[in-house]
Amino acid sequence: MVAPVTAGGRAACVVGVGETRYAKWGGITDASEYQLATQAVLAAIADAGMTPDDVDGLASFAEDRNEATFMAADLGLPELRYASLSWLPGGGGACAAVANAAMAVESGAAEAVVVYRSLCQGQFRRFGRGPGNIAARAGPPRVPHVRRATSLLEANVAFTMPFGVFGPPIAYSMVLRRHMHRFGTTAEQMGHVAVTMRAHAARNPRAVMGDRPMTMDDYLASRMVSEPFRLFDCCLENDGACAVLVTTAERAADSAQRPVALLGAAQGTLQGFGFGQYSNVGMPDDDYASGGSRGVAARLWARSGVGPGDVDVAQIYDHFTGLVLLSLEDFGFCPRGEGGPYAASGALAWPDGALPTNTHGGSLSEAYIHGLNHVVEGVRQLRGQSTCQVAGAETCLVTSAAGVPTSALVLGVR
Amino acid sequence: MTERWFPDDMPMPAANAETVGWWEAAADHRLVVQRCTACGRTRHPPGPVCPRCRSSASEWSALSGTGTVYTYAVVRQAFIPSLQDRVPYIVIAVDLDGASGARMVSNLVDVEPEEVSVGMAVEVAWEDMGPELALPRFRPGPRR
Repeated sequence: MVAPVTAGGRAACVVGVGETRYAKWGGITDASEYQLATQAVLAAIADAGMTPDDVDGLASFAEDRNEATFMAADLGLPELRYASLSWLPGGGGACAAVANAAMAVESGAAEAVVVYRSLCQGQFRRFGRGPGNIAARAGPPRVPHVRRATSLLEANVAFTMPFGVFGPPIAYSMVLRRHMHRFGTTAEQMGHVAVTMRAHAARNPRAVMGDRPMTMDDYLASRMVSEPFRLFDCCLENDGACAVLVTTAERAADSAQRPVALLGAAQGTLQGFGFGQYSNVGMPDDDYASGGSRGVAARLWARSGVGPGDVDVAQIYDHFTGLVLLSLEDFGFCPRGEGGPYAASGALAWPDGALPTNTHGGSLSEAYIHGLNHVVEGVRQLRGQSTCQVAGAETCLVTSAAGVPTSALVLGVR
Repeated sequence: MTERWFPDDMPMPAANAETVGWWEAAADHRLVVQRCTACGRTRHPPGPVCPRCRSSASEWSALSGTGTVYTYAVVRQAFIPSLQDRVPYIVIAVDLDGASGARMVSNLVDVEPEEVSVGMAVEVAWEDMGPELALPRFRPGPRR
């Protein structure tokens, strides 16, 4: 992955994927978020035909509550030789965490690294309510005042949250409004993303919304959250965990599953992007009205030696329908400003679209596990195990969240 | 504005060494932007170093308070219960006159959601939240 030609026997591969059950927000009450994380990690290890005794690394991203150090002890790993947490925020870091694991095994720092994510929103505060939850607690009336910030993020979102920007739906609906203004993007075009993801989920027994079909009329009738985003433009809130196991090609040769190679990876952000459009809105117009993934895309294609025309299937982070359109533009599947018409052409639909996308149903309809489930689905596609299997799929693009510093992978078979 | 626009339990801003000056100016109803005294570049949110020339020297530069709507959202979901009777409200990103590259996020008030548009002229309207906190909202400004 880092050096696909020279890494040889140490070239990184994904050989294990694991998931817990996925349930709607608050639907899992018999296991803690942390216990689910351990279950997903153990499932990925078992899927690879390995045991915890073979694992010496753990990786995650973005303020994970389930620290690798404790997990290593609780899982009884013989020795933790590598642990990392990507700085990339929110859902931007899933692919980066896999890439960091790959760099660890290719460098020899570790032999087998499990990347994990557990997200039980029912057990913790709901995303998008931010400090409002704390503020809304019963108590004596407070005199509005300026508090001391305890993090750079807190000082930065002070310039948005007091104005009612409570979460990503509001910040990114503003991005889509600008995109609509410039390029004529429409609600129906965003609706194609929602309806297509839901159709894919209908075939996936793990999908939280698998039994909830959606038509374009259903989409258009869903209530407005933050115009131009409707409820069905927004991803799910749910409980669940998943994990992937990364090891060397040499070790992968003994794996129970067909190894999936990492053909390339890239991570990062554009100049002045900060936390993305969630915190910074002063960037040039071409950057603001985009997914901010242009630089990641350019480096990804250069390193992997493939381009958008070579991709058989894609798993594109879908926290919001509109940002899928922007990612399609950033990664070069269509010209700038034409993400909407591209999606409306049916390109994303399995099995006949030009680019079957989110064949598990995505964060909009399978589960919102900060996009690590998109990596899992990419691996399944290249093993031939998807519930929306693309015939003969050999190359899969996986992207993490647009609109924040982000990352992406090209998965392949060698 | 005489009437408070958002409820008391809205999240209060948090400030650090780099940003507290902006909030102090706001409390005095002065809309300012951080300007690098070495190269003149304006930036927002405030930070410790000029991203262009890397100077640590900066000043608070007064703005006229006029600008144009760059983009906006009409928020219809009450993300905290006390906002139930305040929705819909309009969040804007505003291009401020005299502060290129230093767009700010705020609210557009005194206007119906159907009337807001990209490019609309706006001017600052201060809302006192408490003795030591004022927030700059915007309302439609003189047509230019």
